[in-house]
Amino acid sequence: MAERAFRFGRARHLVGIAGLPAAARGAVGVIVLNTGLMHRVGPFRLHVDLTRRLNALGYPTLRFDLSTMGDSGASAEAGSREQQIRADVSAAAALLAGQAGCTRFVLVGLCRGAQSAHIACSEAGVAGAIFLDGYIYRTFGFKLRHYLPRLLSPARWHGFLARKLREAMVPEEEVSFGSVYPPRAQVRDELAGMLARGLRLCFVYSGGIGEQLNHPRQFRECYGRGVADHPALRMDLLDGTDHTYTLLCDRERLFGHVEGWLLEQFPPAG
Amino acid sequence: MGMYHGVAGHAPVGMLLCPPLGQMLLRTHRIYRQLASGLAARGIGVLRFDYRGTGDSAGDSLALDWQHCLADIRSAAAELRVRSGCATVVGFGAQLGGSLALAAASAAGFARLILWDPVLDGARHVAELDAGQEALRTDPQHYTKPRSAEEAAGQWLGFPVSAQWRAQLAGWRAEPVRAPTLILDSRPEPAGGWSPLDEAGARVLTMQASTDWGDLHRLEHAILAPDLLRVVGEALEQAA
Repeated sequence: MAERAFRFGRARHLVGIAGLPAAARGAVGVIVLNTGLMHRVGPFRLHVDLTRRLNALGYPTLRFDLSTMGDSGASAEAGSREQQIRADVSAAAALLAGQAGCTRFVLVGLCRGAQSAHIACSEAGVAGAIFLDGYIYRTFGFKLRHYLPRLLSPARWHGFLARKLREAMVPEEEVSFGSVYPPRAQVRDELAGMLARGLRLCFVYSGGIGEQLNHPRQFRECYGRGVADHPALRMDLLDGTDHTYTLLCDRERLFGHVEGWLLEQFPPAG
Repeated sequence: MGMYHGVAGHAPVGMLLCPPLGQMLLRTHRIYRQLASGLAARGIGVLRFDYRGTGDSAGDSLALDWQHCLADIRSAAAELRVRSGCATVVGFGAQLGGSLALAAASAAGFARLILWDPVLDGARHVAELDAGQEALRTDPQHYTKPRSAEEAAGQWLGFPVSAQWRAQLAGWRAEPVRAPTLILDSRPEPAGGWSPLDEAGARVLTMQASTDWGDLHRLEHAILAPDLLRVVGEALEQAA
């Protein structure tokens, strides 16, 4: 298996590493997007390990830096961040098509990467996506499961009051660069649109977003049966893990899920 | 895998950026890139790279090896000389990257060294990494329930650790080198001197902004050092 570094894109401003298995012409290509602001290697080298494992299964891969992130520069084109992401993913797909003959692509993204993948699912050739800690919204069910046990626990009350007191005494210094979610109805409609176009979607949530999701049932509460129960969509909650799969055993669990879903939905060519 | 930041024509001076290891390599990626671009704009040829088994380079994380890292620094320094045409190569490294630059200084032919919070005592660093891993597995911001010691064994903050790597790192003890050495100190609190380098004449410069390398809750946050380019640039100008 060969890995090659490329400069590509309309201004040759994008940097990425393609994994090109020897006998993979025409296979589905897997494109891995930046996690947060971290460069293409991913947290704890997660993207490197994942792409190499997928290469061993026969999938061509590309882990790359979106415009202005990691080692990639700016394209000097005007446009929104969404337009830029779509153009970057389109360029990444073109690169894999040229290098490995891929005609269909699966996007993979964790956290902010999942949001980028969501945006780029409209691009030609995208046949599926793996959203790791992708969009999820608090529902009435979430609040019931979250707050009811706390209301009845003196220890929780004590912790809550102590935290509020600390927050009042210590001024907030950190500037938050957290992303703003689009309205839930918009995301639900966009997911429904992806499924209607034939995309296959895999959602994997970590245990690290317990403040956002606290039960597998919440996905259906959030997006409704039309999306959640669609046969082309799979949702798993890897309870107990943290957001970036810091422990090796958690990463192994994640890789097993991703590989299993890919092999089932997009068996490698040949 | 490496990236060369070239200059127009011949670069009289080159700088090799030796990355730190583990998550620090990822956390310093952006500041290394900014430093490389800034220095290249000042006419210095800069090469940054990943050791085998790290970053984008070939090899498994578990195969990390001290001697291989030193060999990679020698290869990278040779590559920098070929690409830039420079006669003088300065070695730069943060944390364990500084330790490796120091250990490879003579073999790589570094004319001078700039070390940013280098690790000088491997045994103490191993103890800190062990403590960090223990704190991680019981940290409520990472896990709702503490993870077992077995699940967290053989790793340091997200990366597998072989018995060989552990022993190599524990055995590291810095020794002064001939090359003039500048230590950039950005530790949040005064933590003693930089023995034995300062005793041997290394210059120590305190950075304006402090860097908390070991903060468990900032494992995925980029390291920021707004004055790094200025400090390094001035140090190179003074040396010229």
